[in-house]
Amino acid sequence: MTTAPRPALTEAAAAGRGKDPRPAGTGRLGRAPRPRRRGYESLSGYLFVAPAVVLFLVMGLYTVGYGFLLSFATWNGFSPSWTWVGLQNYKDLLWANPMYAPQVQKAAIHTFYVMVAVPLLTVLVSFPLAILLNSAKRFQGVLRSIYFVPYVTSGIAVFFAWTYILQPDGAVNSLLSTLGLGSLSQPQGWLGNPHTALPTMIVVTVWGAVPVSMLLYLTGLQTVDRNLLEAAQLDGAGWWRTNASVVWPLLRPITAIVVLLNLRDSLQGFQTFLVMTNGGPGDHTNVLGLEAYTLAFLKDLAPTLGLASALGWLLFAAALVIALINLRMLRSRT
Amino acid sequence: MRIPFARISPKNPKSRLAAAAVATVLSLTPLAACGGSSGSSGDSKTLNMWTFKQSHVAGLRNAAAAFKKQTGITVNIQAYGPDDAYSTKVQAAAKTNDLPDVLEVHSDGDDLVWGATGIAKDISADVDSAWNGLYQKAVQTSGTVTAEKYKESLPTDSKSHGVQQGQRFSVPFTAGTFGIVMGNKTMLAAAGITKPPTTWEEFLTDLKATTAKDPKNGGLSLGLKVKATGLTWVLQPLAFAELGKEKYQALFGQDAAADFSSADGQKVLSLYDEMQPYWMPGTQSLDIDGADQAFAQGKAAWDIGGTFTLSYLQQNDMNPDNVMAFGLPAPQNAAVPKPALGPIALTSLTVTSTSSHPDNAEKWMKFLSQPSVAATFAKDATEVPATELGADTAAVMGPTLADMTKTFEGGTAETTYDPSDNSFRAATYDQDSMGVVLADLTPLKQKSVASTAADLAKLNKSFWATSK
Repeated sequence: MTTAPRPALTEAAAAGRGKDPRPAGTGRLGRAPRPRRRGYESLSGYLFVAPAVVLFLVMGLYTVGYGFLLSFATWNGFSPSWTWVGLQNYKDLLWANPMYAPQVQKAAIHTFYVMVAVPLLTVLVSFPLAILLNSAKRFQGVLRSIYFVPYVTSGIAVFFAWTYILQPDGAVNSLLSTLGLGSLSQPQGWLGNPHTALPTMIVVTVWGAVPVSMLLYLTGLQTVDRNLLEAAQLDGAGWWRTNASVVWPLLRPITAIVVLLNLRDSLQGFQTFLVMTNGGPGDHTNVLGLEAYTLAFLKDLAPTLGLASALGWLLFAAALVIALINLRMLRSRT
Repeated sequence: MRIPFARISPKNPKSRLAAAAVATVLSLTPLAACGGSSGSSGDSKTLNMWTFKQSHVAGLRNAAAAFKKQTGITVNIQAYGPDDAYSTKVQAAAKTNDLPDVLEVHSDGDDLVWGATGIAKDISADVDSAWNGLYQKAVQTSGTVTAEKYKESLPTDSKSHGVQQGQRFSVPFTAGTFGIVMGNKTMLAAAGITKPPTTWEEFLTDLKATTAKDPKNGGLSLGLKVKATGLTWVLQPLAFAELGKEKYQALFGQDAAADFSSADGQKVLSLYDEMQPYWMPGTQSLDIDGADQAFAQGKAAWDIGGTFTLSYLQQNDMNPDNVMAFGLPAPQNAAVPKPALGPIALTSLTVTSTSSHPDNAEKWMKFLSQPSVAATFAKDATEVPATELGADTAAVMGPTLADMTKTFEGGTAETTYDPSDNSFRAATYDQDSMGVVLADLTPLKQKSVASTAADLAKLNKSFWATSK
């Protein structure tokens, strides 16, 4: 090795740098493919990509464009033509039509509560749970499987089971009575009381959301540098302080993802509400996703598909804004 | 770097192309499947029929066996429920060209709406007077676009917009009515009740007696998760009896002095609110089947439904002879003290426009309307058939169902509550939205009578304002 300055490259050498030093036609890499073979390769490449492109064009672009156009029309799904109404569907949903606007506003308030409570509670439950599971010395695999059960069993049947558990003579009230907490039980059932129905639905939603969030946190915990934790402990930080001041800030990107995923689900998801309450009692658990579904499919073929589509686009706009805010926050903190 | 697939067959680019082509075809297969084939039977010896009534399946299959013997045509019966799911399934099947040959539908609702959309075939030319004459007189025009129905369809936002006067999209299959109260005779006897109440006040006294006897299981069950049941099965017949036909219809009209916010409106809402202490716990979270099931299981002493409820109760192991059935009684001093409940067509049969064999489908529908077949079906399904059975009616249907049909008797045009009459409502009227407001009065106790009345009137006004 020498410290002497290298001689400058000659112009010719500089121009040839990085090029194959072998003369053309010698060696496999330097051989130019024959045009016909290159054509076959291109064609086969396009053909392999074609299914995905076609599927995207038909299932993605076409339906998205179709739905967007539909939001400016009234249609019942079957009549031969659409009636163009411009922005009227959006106006009707937001303020203009007394048949729809009050319902949408009420559903928006419920959705807002769900959007605030579900991500918050999911983080509050899944982060400590992940910490505890990560530090478990024995049966870690079994415990992880147990806590993941709600995710793998989530489905229509489980939500039907929840409705039975929450009935006036269901397991929750029975358990409370057995524990001597009968005064906390709900005589009309947890989904029958307008004051407990939405909070109960939030709890059930969180129950379904915790496993994936916990898994994300567990994944994040594997990446935390043990030296940092040891350094914190050497500085006298206890278990609580280490997790609150070292681990929690390090896992902030995971928290952002957990919050974003749950915000999206809270904004657009409605299956649980459809199965368990259908928006009831009365309309005390009606949410925007369910309102859009009802407008689209449960109005006995009234021409409200355009309204449903417009509501879908309003939800998309809200989701986009939330995603941008989340992205911005993520960038500023990391 | 060369991509791996290029090494698979470097000397044969054609095989790569073939592989890519196969991949393309396989990937697009799901799209091709979206086109689907018709759910209508392809051959002339098979028909497919869908129903939303699980309790009809056994009776229909028995009838189908007899039909096959007579004609050699096989009819496959499939049930899909509940109602909302059935409606969604039919819409989806219509979009994918996968409809069956025959559909059982809600009478004078789905049939006309599906006729307007092209799902149901116009059968007016095929249902002659001989066929139509087989049905009870009260339901003979069911499924037909009468002058009144045509007028209702004219606004562009009407669900049946596009139908033409004189068209017919269904023939009736079962008849009956809503607003039938059923009591568990054993539980009623335990509370000292042995005969049906004759007035609304007596009914409330009886409810008080059963709930006092058994606070947990002595209440009234009604599937209020389905939003309009409280409105259409209780409040409307109650309001009709209390106010009389004209004032009842005015509740849904445009005159603020006579709508729900009026003294009359508040009076009927107060009557309805008197049921508050007697609801079965959690009835607001039950759908119609769930409420009937709770009654059959002894979780409620009373149940409100229709003539069609008895079959479901029987299906859930309740002995029909243990059911005391009567029409919702009128309040004392009501304008119509003895209201009759108009027998209406409840479900009908329609031929789909995509059926490959509409002639066979109509042959099957006509077969079901024959008195002997209808009588057998009525026994199998514990239903009131739309077919006129004459003097045999009571013997065929059994004593409880015959009791229910007594509510049809003795009424005139002014004293008979006809739940299928919508001529006095706005074209965009939505009973579910009205039901949601009503639920806040009772059983949810979220609003007073006055504020419920104001909200119902406001909502009703919005229907009129948006009817074009």
